[in-house]
Amino acid sequence: MNASAISVPHDHDHHGHGDDHGHHGHVTLQYQPGLPLSKGKLIMWLFLSTEIMFFAALLGSYVVLRFGAAVWPKPHHVHLSEPIGAFNTFVLICSSVTIVLALEAARANKASLAKTWMVLTLVLGTLFLGVKAYEYQAKFSHGIYPWSPRSRVFEKPDLYYGSAVRARLGEPAMIDRLKELDDTPEDKLTADEISGRRRLQQIRQMVTSPDQQPFDLAVVADQVMPLPAEGADAHGGHGPHGLNDTFPWLKLPAVIPGGTMWASTYFLLTGFHAIHVIVGLIVFAILLLYKLGPKRAGMIENAGLYWHFVDLVWIFLFPLLYLF
Amino acid sequence: MSRFSGILWSLLFLAVPVLGVATFAVAPSINVWLPPDVSEHGKAIDGLFYFILALTGVVFVATEVALFWFLWKYDAAKAQGPATYIHGSHTLEVVWTIIPAATLLFLAIYQMNTWADVKMRRPAMAPSVEVVGRQFEWRLRYPGRDGTLGTPDDLFLVNDLHVPVDEDFLVQLKSMDVLHSFFLPNLRIKQDAVPGMKIPVWFKATETGQFDIVCAELCGWGHYKMKGRVTVESREDFDRWLESQYAKQEATQPEIDPSATVARTE
Amino acid sequence: MSIASAPPTVRHEPTVQAPAPHHASFLSTYVFSKDHKVIGLQFLFSTLVWFLIGGLLALAVRWQIAWPWSDVPVLGKLFAQEGGQMAPEFYTMLFTMHATVMIFLVIIPILAGAFGNFLIPLMIGADDMAFPTLNMLSYWFMWPAFIAFGASFFVEGGAASSGWTSYPTLSTNIASSPGAGWGQTLWLLGLTFVGVSSMLGSVNYMTTIILMRAPGMTMFRLPMTIWAMFITAVLQAFALPVLTAAGFMQLADRTLGTGFFSPEGNIVNNWMQATGGGQPLLWQHLFWFYSHPAVYIMILPAMGMVSDILTTFARKPLFGYRPMVYSIAGIAGLGFIVWGHHMFMSGMNPALGITFMVSTMMIALPSAVKTFNWLGTIWGGRVQFTTAMLFSLAFVSMFIIGGLSGIFMAATPVDIFIHDTYFIVAHFHYVLFAGTAMGVFSGIYYWFPKMFGRTMNEFWGKVHFFLTFLFMNGTFFTMHILGAVGFPRRLADAYHYETFHHLQPLNAFMTWCAIGMVATQAIFAANFFWSMFFGPIAGRNPWRSNTLEWTTPSPPGHGNFDFQPVVHRGPYEYSVPGVEKDHLMQTDPPNAAAAALAAAH
Ligand code: HEA
Ligand code: HEA
Ligand code: CUA
Ligand SMILES: [Cu+2]
Repeated sequence: MNASAISVPHDHDHHGHGDDHGHHGHVTLQYQPGLPLSKGKLIMWLFLSTEIMFFAALLGSYVVLRFGAAVWPKPHHVHLSEPIGAFNTFVLICSSVTIVLALEAARANKASLAKTWMVLTLVLGTLFLGVKAYEYQAKFSHGIYPWSPRSRVFEKPDLYYGSAVRARLGEPAMIDRLKELDDTPEDKLTADEISGRRRLQQIRQMVTSPDQQPFDLAVVADQVMPLPAEGADAHGGHGPHGLNDTFPWLKLPAVIPGGTMWASTYFLLTGFHAIHVIVGLIVFAILLLYKLGPKRAGMIENAGLYWHFVDLVWIFLFPLLYLF
Repeated sequence: MSRFSGILWSLLFLAVPVLGVATFAVAPSINVWLPPDVSEHGKAIDGLFYFILALTGVVFVATEVALFWFLWKYDAAKAQGPATYIHGSHTLEVVWTIIPAATLLFLAIYQMNTWADVKMRRPAMAPSVEVVGRQFEWRLRYPGRDGTLGTPDDLFLVNDLHVPVDEDFLVQLKSMDVLHSFFLPNLRIKQDAVPGMKIPVWFKATETGQFDIVCAELCGWGHYKMKGRVTVESREDFDRWLESQYAKQEATQPEIDPSATVARTE
Repeated sequence: MSIASAPPTVRHEPTVQAPAPHHASFLSTYVFSKDHKVIGLQFLFSTLVWFLIGGLLALAVRWQIAWPWSDVPVLGKLFAQEGGQMAPEFYTMLFTMHATVMIFLVIIPILAGAFGNFLIPLMIGADDMAFPTLNMLSYWFMWPAFIAFGASFFVEGGAASSGWTSYPTLSTNIASSPGAGWGQTLWLLGLTFVGVSSMLGSVNYMTTIILMRAPGMTMFRLPMTIWAMFITAVLQAFALPVLTAAGFMQLADRTLGTGFFSPEGNIVNNWMQATGGGQPLLWQHLFWFYSHPAVYIMILPAMGMVSDILTTFARKPLFGYRPMVYSIAGIAGLGFIVWGHHMFMSGMNPALGITFMVSTMMIALPSAVKTFNWLGTIWGGRVQFTTAMLFSLAFVSMFIIGGLSGIFMAATPVDIFIHDTYFIVAHFHYVLFAGTAMGVFSGIYYWFPKMFGRTMNEFWGKVHFFLTFLFMNGTFFTMHILGAVGFPRRLADAYHYETFHHLQPLNAFMTWCAIGMVATQAIFAANFFWSMFFGPIAGRNPWRSNTLEWTTPSPPGHGNFDFQPVVHRGPYEYSVPGVEKDHLMQTDPPNAAAAALAAAH
């Protein structure tokens, strides 16, 4: 087959317009070999490189904000639990293994086995999200929100903090609760609760007295949520019990230096990661509608690539957020 | 006809360097040019401006005239025979990479010293004044008699900056709300004021007179009117002015609550 | 393995199939079409409409600069404050939206979306993009952006007004200005959609160019347009996600109350940002990390198109093909490490400024190589002064001006004086309007026959060119000397500064030129629409050009090629000695003369 046999129309200047439309046939075009990759796989890699830049920007911002901040809370101040995080990391790594097994099975034309692995991947991914939701819930219950209106996190024991504490203590439901606590006979309370009640009463006095000084508010803050001394083991136990721990219903605003920015970045990073996890799960769910034979191997492979990427992002997030 | 149009179009492209150079040549004489410079470091900046103007001027004229000449000479309606069949020249590529590279590298190194003088070699002295940008005014705070900022005898002013001539002057630049930019055209000074940052700005004025302070960073609807004045005056005049302002402040505001101001500005 | 050197191993019989049954509806042919050509034209029409809007916004801007606080004709009635006089906050909205429209809805989508879509498959010999549906989506993702930007003028408080750079805390603190309310939020949403659209487009383009080239079309036989589109897509893919991330953070600052970009206790207009601890400069870094590469996204495709058009009408091979390719790549690579030159005065560490200054100086090098090679291409050529050629020549001529003014600003000490003055405005209008937009006009005149099967009127094209060229320089060249006085940008009324008092007549002159420039475009619009229906029929290859798109019918049918294209040579074989006609198309079979020539080389 030589090239001259191919009819190459050119210089058809005399061709009429209508002419051109008249007789064009449909040609299945051949292409110059480029990379040894399918279109789907190539675009997936390219898409993932845009994703890398996206997360690089978020992580970069995190690093800049964190190291530009005067103070940054230790994981324990903000109720981050390393074991839970580590467990979740493990879950995600397992899911990366199961998706590979699903691909293997599909390639080997074992469709039902592939489906089993795929279901397992879906379950593991959902488990990851469940744990994440539990962690978010723990933050919310301590008043740590990424945004201001509902957040009970304060940077300094300043006047704003004082008025927030006063407002909380002045809520009608709270007044009833406090009264109830005051009226409870001592023998119904633990030792911890008794001392807590005494401290709480002092605080109420302090906060409601008109000439409160910033210094006193620092004491209040320390009672609500004691921060371990500098240099104390950050990962260690809970130390002295704060009032919020003794009386969980109290939900007093807490002072966590750097806590607001910490919360913003934490929710930003893990939030966008979680969105990516959800997208992955949707893709898996869609794949489950098909027979996962060799014909679908390409799709499974691409979904797997994406899933590995999501996994990889978490491998960066976990140490940055939980360990350092 | 088509020969004629070739001439016309080439000349149009020749008009670019001709009118371009003419514009820059005429501009100073109609007073549309660098405003008078009254700072010490401004000489270096202006010198650099003229240097780059000359350098780019030469490149500009050379390339634009070459463009014109090629159009004139190689007009299809005029030139005989087919075009030169050539795919490039390795030597030429090397030459026209190396020469601009050397020029630009020279320029990069040549200017560093001026930059360091204006932005990096901060004079060892206490701030002469604190300038705080705020929508849409410049708040000034002189240290007062004790020479230290943040003490109860600070002098507060708005938009009216006074500077002693022939002395190093150190501004501590802050912003209360959004970005502003502290632009003194005649002193060849520009620095953004960033909320949350304290940025030092220094200069030495060499001539007395009154000049504009311009806000050069978009700061909201009133950006255009965020205008201040800087008065450069002799040391005696400056001290006298400071004294009179101080007296005025004490007369109008007999009691400033010192703790309140300190707390707010820290 | 090297893609570039892979030999054309596949030589196939053209497999002509029976024509596919045509039962496509109007909707699927012209609206939700997956055909890259239709999508390209959809982009073209949408962006031209926005071009007009952007131009009218520019006129309103110019009006205020020339005659501040005088009643605005036409527009004044629409946005009348009192009597028809423009309010200062409206002025800030005008230039913000002018720039936003021009950059995000005109220049970027017209280059990548319109020309990229239309030309990539045609010029590489593919029947369509690799992922037609994705391609269609990339167009339809523009619509939420069109709506968001368009609607923002009509919401409470008006459109975004913190400049196209959207610097915090002006943009994040909702009390900072009237437009910092809904307008700013819509602006961020619009930006996100533009971003998604560009991202979908760019990965698709890269895949198409890598995998769908005709047999024999090695990487180093690609036309410059395709190289430029390819590298632009790479820039998009790697720079844009950063802006998207930053946009989400700013959106969170505005709507959720986080404080990524607000320092502790930021009070604007007596309204305190509840959260803080963030850094206003972080936004600037993220923004320019995208937006500097973006300025090259806004010029590289034009450079590619101009290279192709110059060779066609100089009837001469491109001078220095490989250096041209390497310099595009060089611009793209260096483009990622120069963003800090927008921040010399921002309060960033001045030592960092020095490193950015050096890298910025170096980025002028590949541009120099390109400029000299364009001149080399014209040298010894046989120049045909068609309208397309004239616009391409204007591109070269004007890019030199815009590029050289960049050197002033790259010099940090000089930038102290000229930063945020009209010198900068002159610089970027020379590269963007006098540069890229001329390239775009050139591309429209050049590829119009391929798009619509008819050529545009040459006489009126030249009138359009001449007047645009004149008025454009009248408007923008003068800005250099305004900048030398220190005339600041973004000022609704600069004349109450003593320093700038005397510049009003000059500004009035520029405004008259701008009015003339916009009016001139009526000639273009008329020519464009008239020629679409009544222009002379073009045939396949009206310019006797070499690249693959000229082997297809005009306009090409569905599937583009009515034969299997096989590429035998590079795209610039004009005036080959010993060959009778003065050009050898990429598909022309190697004949005796060409073979002899190859042997001689
Ligand atoms: C298409 C768009 C485009 C292009 C191509 C460029 C190209 C360049 N730009 Fe420009 N720039 C913008 C768009 C663009 N810019 C925009 C939109 C802004 C403002 C944003 C805003 O604030 O709103 C801006 C702002 C801007 C600044 C910030 C100014 C400030 O705010 O203070 C700087 C500073 O360094 C700069 C530099 C340069 C340089 C060095 C080049 C170089 O790439 C130019 C290189 C080209 C040449 C130099 C000419 C050809 C070369 C020769 C003929 C060889 C010989 C030359 C020498 C030896 C000198 N630009
Ligand atoms: C690609 C970008 C681009 C383009 C093309 C333009 C085009 C123009 N620009 Fe602008 N401009 C910017 C990008 C651009 N600009 C940016 C980034 C800023 C900075 C904003 C900021 O500070 O935040 C700016 C700011 C800016 C200012 C400064 C405002 C200020 O700082 O106070 C001025 C003032 O003169 C101005 C003027 C003009 C003029 C007169 C045009 C003219 O050239 C416009 C000409 C328009 C036309 C000629 C329309 C043509 C229409 C068609 C061809 C359509 C035909 C229709 C059909 C076929 C359907 N622009
Ligand atoms: Cu302050 Cu602009
Ligand atoms: Cu830049």
